[in-house]
Amino acid sequence: MLKDIIKKEILETITSPKFVFTFLLCTVLILLSVYTGIINFSAEKKEFDAALALNKKNLESQPSYQALAGLGTKINRPPEVLSTIASGVSEAVGRVATVNVAYDPNLVDSKYESNPVFSVFGALDLTFIVKIVLSLFAILFTYDAIVGEKERGTLKLTLSNRVPRDRLIMGKFIGGYVSLLIPLIIPLILSLLLLLVFPNISLSGQDWGRLLLMFLIFFLYLSVFFTLGLLVSTRTNKGSTSFLVLLLIWVIFVTIIPKVAVLAASRLNPIPSVHEITAKKDAFLQQVQGGAQKKVLDWIKENQPKPGGDQKAFQEKFKKFLEDFQQESTAKIDANNAALERDYQARKRSQERLAVNLSRISPASALTFSTMSLARTGMDEHERFLASIRAFKPIWTKWANSRMMQTLDFGGGGQTAKVSLADMPQHAFEPEGLSKSLVRTLPDIGLMLVLIIVFFAWAYISFLKYDVR
Amino acid sequence: MLETINLSKRYEDGQLALDHLNLKVEAGEIFCMFGANGAGKTTTINLLLNFIPPTEGTALIEGIDVAKEPLRSKDYVSFVSENVTLYGNFTAYQNIDYFSKLAGKRNLTKADYARVMTSVGLQEDAFDSRARTYSKGMRQKLGLAVALIKDAPNILLDEPTAGLDPKSGQDFLALLVRMRDGGKSIFMSTHDIFRAKLIADRVGFMKKGRLVMLKTRKELEGEDLTALYIQYMEEA
Repeated sequence: MLKDIIKKEILETITSPKFVFTFLLCTVLILLSVYTGIINFSAEKKEFDAALALNKKNLESQPSYQALAGLGTKINRPPEVLSTIASGVSEAVGRVATVNVAYDPNLVDSKYESNPVFSVFGALDLTFIVKIVLSLFAILFTYDAIVGEKERGTLKLTLSNRVPRDRLIMGKFIGGYVSLLIPLIIPLILSLLLLLVFPNISLSGQDWGRLLLMFLIFFLYLSVFFTLGLLVSTRTNKGSTSFLVLLLIWVIFVTIIPKVAVLAASRLNPIPSVHEITAKKDAFLQQVQGGAQKKVLDWIKENQPKPGGDQKAFQEKFKKFLEDFQQESTAKIDANNAALERDYQARKRSQERLAVNLSRISPASALTFSTMSLARTGMDEHERFLASIRAFKPIWTKWANSRMMQTLDFGGGGQTAKVSLADMPQHAFEPEGLSKSLVRTLPDIGLMLVLIIVFFAWAYISFLKYDVR
Repeated sequence: MLETINLSKRYEDGQLALDHLNLKVEAGEIFCMFGANGAGKTTTINLLLNFIPPTEGTALIEGIDVAKEPLRSKDYVSFVSENVTLYGNFTAYQNIDYFSKLAGKRNLTKADYARVMTSVGLQEDAFDSRARTYSKGMRQKLGLAVALIKDAPNILLDEPTAGLDPKSGQDFLALLVRMRDGGKSIFMSTHDIFRAKLIADRVGFMKKGRLVMLKTRKELEGEDLTALYIQYMEEA
């Protein structure tokens, strides 16, 4: 009997106009979003490769190590291939950082900075399509699952037979869910084929694993709205009421909770602005630079050779002093900046965690966080990348200072030694492994599962007592 | 056989919808229940189908207490509602196939369905049409075919002739007579005094949840049923 009910649910849905409409729209939107993602990724990859080449060329063309140390090297964040599915914050955060001897590196030049109009519309990625459009379809498929049958009179006719209510609701759940997945799975398979045929897209085994997990999360997310629809349809007496109630809950889940959570977190756990931190860093830099001038003059006074003394030895000693002093000053600045940054980042992370945890009661937030983590386009991966640059900064400045001092020539016409990048330290970043990303997504997956179980159990119990008249 | 013993229903808002109804509909009998809206006719059917629990008393189908054994009792009863809509996206074949499987009739063929649908007066060319394209009369016939295919000994009909044109109404009644003659117990709630008078073996009048009058076909001979109905409805 369960099989008959499931079969009837599927057949009834796939022969309805809403199925045809959903299937066509899903196919167009999913393929369009993945295609757009692929095009964006290809453009970003090209931009990234060009930026690397330009940086190398710029560094090599510097007339001296001093100029190179001041200019610094640029570290570009490589685009993530899975941003084609979930762009996360990748378009809102900076993509390039300058590492030089003076300033603390920061990632700047986000896509939204380059073209602010993008931030108004946001990215049309697959996560967005699932979060907004497909969740509405899930509601459209279930808002009248029970109440619609009651309004049509078919519920009474069905239950006038030997049909246990638990089996009927189970059949409606399974059949309805399968009907919802059909218009989703086919375009998803087509989008996977798109990813396979595009030459610029190269997915590793781990990327495929991530992709499949993301699809699983999409299904879980849609199940939340599907079971919610089933629940509301067992708690109402009119299809129109059910749809309005569901629409209201959808608005609260998808738009209100995530925004209110961020506002609430900023009120509950305020943090200093970036400008305040920058002002503190600048003040310390000026303090060190002011003291440096006096210290250099004092050293010269103390160590200056008498007339006719050994000028060459003095110059060598002065060079050594300058190199040590430069390293010491840079280390001090770095240490101060790092301490300020650590404190700021810790407070920022605490605020972010609060916002994330508050917004997690919305399945839409859970979907966003989990897919971002799996696509490595979330804030965590951004911060890990920035931290790797900050860790790289002292290594690079030490090398630059050392080269600068070694090539100082007090006697000749300035620093004319040719810049060589052969031994320049290279920034390396190890992207987060799948197991760590998965652990990060577990709270979101867990939350969605809890919501599904609660909504379904509630719908199940409600239907056992449902007034079919 | 359908039977109610002191069957009562009081809703949560305090309204007494059915007040100690004692009634028996034997095999091979058509019982027509009259009454204004809210008199308790549909409540009786809902209680017999266990859609709502009784406040007091017992509803029996073939001697089975429907409140105690709701699933088993449903093997012995078919139901036709006032507005049969069935599944609009399904054809007549698909609708009857689904409901016959729910009724436990798993070995029926398309020819069996065609035979039953023809017997209720559905035209063959409508068998493969979607039910949403059907007229009300055709839907009622299909609803009756769904009830017939179950081949249960008892049939409950809730105002089945409401909105039918005269020809469809006449055909429908002829079908009920054939089913009655085949030994079915038929309980029909209706406002259609003229048609009911033609086929009813007994009639009952309900008012405010109580059965206020019960007459056999013989007792009704020579009586003006309409005048009787109005008289009972006007009485306190």
